[in-house]
Amino acid sequence: MLEAFVIGFWKVVAWPAFGYLLIGIAIGFFVGLLPGLGGLATLALMLPFSYTIKTPIEAFAFLLGMLAVTGTTGDLTSILFGIPGEGSSAALIMDGYPMSKNGEAGRALGAAIMSSVIGAIVGALSLAISIPIMRPLVLLFGSPELFIIAIMGITFIGTLAGASLIKGLLAGGIGLMLAAIGVDPQTGSLRYTFGTLYLWDRLDLIPVVVGLFAIPEIVDLAVRGTSIASNKQEKLTGVMEGVKDTFRHFWLVIRCSLIGVYFGVLPVLGANVAQWISYAHAVQSLKDKSRAGKGCVEGVLGPGAANNSTRGGDLIPTVAFGIPGSGAMALLLGALLIVGLNPGPEMLKSHLDVTFAMVWVLIIANIIVAAICFLILNHLAALTFIRGSLLIPFLLFLVFIGSFTANNSLEDIIVTLIFGVVGYFMVMFGWPRPPLILGLTLGKIAENYLWISTAAYGAKWLAFPSVVILILITIFTVAYPTIKERMGRARYERPEDVM
Amino acid sequence: MNRAFRIVGTEGTGKRGARPAALLLGLALVAGVSPAQAADAPFYQGKSIRLVIGSTAGGGYDQWPRLAIRYLSRHIPGNPEIVPQNMPGAGGIVAANYLYNIARPDGLTIGAFNPALYFDQLIKRDEVKFDWGKFTWIGSPEQNEILHFIRADTPYKTIDDLRNAKVPPRCGSSGTGTTGHYIPRLMEEVLGVKTHIVGGYQGGAEIDLAIERNEVVCWSPVVATYFGREPYKRWHQSGFTRVVMQTGTKRDPRLKDVPTLWELMQRYGTPDSGKRLAKVILTAVTLGRPVSAPPGVPPDRVRILRDAYAKAMSDPELRAEAARRGWNVNPLAGEELEAHAREVIAQPPDVVEKMKWVLGK
Repeated sequence: MLEAFVIGFWKVVAWPAFGYLLIGIAIGFFVGLLPGLGGLATLALMLPFSYTIKTPIEAFAFLLGMLAVTGTTGDLTSILFGIPGEGSSAALIMDGYPMSKNGEAGRALGAAIMSSVIGAIVGALSLAISIPIMRPLVLLFGSPELFIIAIMGITFIGTLAGASLIKGLLAGGIGLMLAAIGVDPQTGSLRYTFGTLYLWDRLDLIPVVVGLFAIPEIVDLAVRGTSIASNKQEKLTGVMEGVKDTFRHFWLVIRCSLIGVYFGVLPVLGANVAQWISYAHAVQSLKDKSRAGKGCVEGVLGPGAANNSTRGGDLIPTVAFGIPGSGAMALLLGALLIVGLNPGPEMLKSHLDVTFAMVWVLIIANIIVAAICFLILNHLAALTFIRGSLLIPFLLFLVFIGSFTANNSLEDIIVTLIFGVVGYFMVMFGWPRPPLILGLTLGKIAENYLWISTAAYGAKWLAFPSVVILILITIFTVAYPTIKERMGRARYERPEDVM
Repeated sequence: MNRAFRIVGTEGTGKRGARPAALLLGLALVAGVSPAQAADAPFYQGKSIRLVIGSTAGGGYDQWPRLAIRYLSRHIPGNPEIVPQNMPGAGGIVAANYLYNIARPDGLTIGAFNPALYFDQLIKRDEVKFDWGKFTWIGSPEQNEILHFIRADTPYKTIDDLRNAKVPPRCGSSGTGTTGHYIPRLMEEVLGVKTHIVGGYQGGAEIDLAIERNEVVCWSPVVATYFGREPYKRWHQSGFTRVVMQTGTKRDPRLKDVPTLWELMQRYGTPDSGKRLAKVILTAVTLGRPVSAPPGVPPDRVRILRDAYAKAMSDPELRAEAARRGWNVNPLAGEELEAHAREVIAQPPDVVEKMKWVLGK
């Protein structure tokens, strides 16, 4: 095992694998910056290039290197402009963008990049550590367990509700309703599609997120007529301060990384959910909850770590069973087959060096990207001091290209605009936006697993020990703040929501 | 008719405009280009062909056409560049509507989408704005068959056991238009085998995990997939699963002991309407992963595309690459596709009614 671990490392840093890794990183870097053009689409486009690569580890260095960094660079645009570069980077807007507005873009970027590196390392090590227990670990979660986990995620709506719990719950409810749009997977009946074909496939998350979060910020920037950081003095301690923050809140970063791994292992849930759960966890752990949404660094560290550690978690079912944990993993699986590897048990025995090479690719790719980012971060942070009128055309271009490239469909742009208006009014009247996204993301998942559980087990699943334990954990998480308050240790206050 | 719907292209405006244009273009070509000149410069030289793919990047219906076009270009005189463009939506209906109504029939736009879309036409879904039989069919890389397997640790050894089962087995499905749904329904209709369908999984990979966990115990994948990749190869070799039925007209050499659906229908005396229903539904898998073009492409260009597709499919390099991915190459020519497509949509009302039930409507 240890031997394979070392061999895997040398195979990754050997030439030409390392060269392929660098090319992959370069592509992933720019893809991550463009909203909408996600890791999955890029993998599909780049897959044919990997067929010419002869050995599995070299092919992997290229593909996985590309995928590993999209999560990191997606965070950059979320923080700088309030436009998520990847669907899985949206939660960073909550506190990352307010930090930019406060003239702390450098610090936020430093925190995001450093927590991404730690997240990636935790994800990769989890993949390595779980090798002996991978199969039972994946089989641990059936549909009933996944349903309860989705419900647990939905209860975080309360945490993310901000100043007004009732508005938060309503926004979450609207999100859940929006999740019902589309073809019902059980009966094939059409729900709320209003005669359009576009709505058959449910609302795509990217245009909704980009519209809801980015457009109000651009309008706000136009109205203010200043730069993003609105003439505040730049704090030159910038990037290094963010790095220090990562280590000041080291355990929070580790906990959020583990949340990311956990959601990566679970099929379907992945980074989109993990980032919000981590953000909610980071908010919950604040001593002074009124800082949330106003530019507190913990709100950047949590999702920054989680959306990178999911990549390692995603690989676990892919390697252990040959069953992909996400769309991107399905493509990687195809690449594995072409280079003559059979994912499944033998990846944990005779091809252990390849499995460890994947672990190393995840770690090395993220460290390299972090190094590159640190070289340019201060220049990137300077963008927030450019006059808004110069930035806005470029930002609008990012928004619309981003919405369009997700599915090449014009309707996505319409959805972006509609949710842009919705988002603008939500901000104006003090309605929190994260609950809506959480409802939209988790609604479909919860509905599906509830149906599957009931269809497969009747009502028996409610008495499964694992389900009972998860229900108790959920109740505890919901009740914990109240319990804490009763104990009189700290007065629990809802975070003021300024978003 | 709202705006979003019009974008999908149901008004046929493009087509009305395109038809005369194509005719004029054809006339101009015939009138203005002497045969000698035509021979000098192939039509496709210096042009590019657009391939509209009706699913998102990365899925099975995306990967095959992307592989095929890399070789297709080699065999078209003039070697045009072929650019893939994903147009996902409504399981492929968006792309099919686009190809039928908006794309110009000039041989420069081709499409690849789910071959089961004619189901939606047969059961008269309003959203369908194409006539399956009128597409210009170019070729398909494979003709598939389906099998139905069940976990070997269940008490069901044969279809007979399944027919007599007191508690129907739980089979996984990822949607009403997928094999996981319509094969068990078809088996119930023509063989009297009852199944408890558990729908809602996000795709084959999730059903695989559910089978590992014993949440569901049976599924109906394509034969090539079952023998082509994990976890099925491992399941089959270790005896974890047992195949109880296959849909081919002849028994697959790898499944010598497994009865075909047709044998079983013979054995249980299924009426003709049931057999016709089976044929209509199973044609979808016979079509494989077809490539088509809008109706009305000039015959000489159809010829060029069909020939090139056939040559690409017998290209040793393509075959080697497909073999590396575990894909079967068993091509179907454009003419055969066309015959199947025309036959399959000419169905009497009673078959259409049964189709609705099979598709969960």
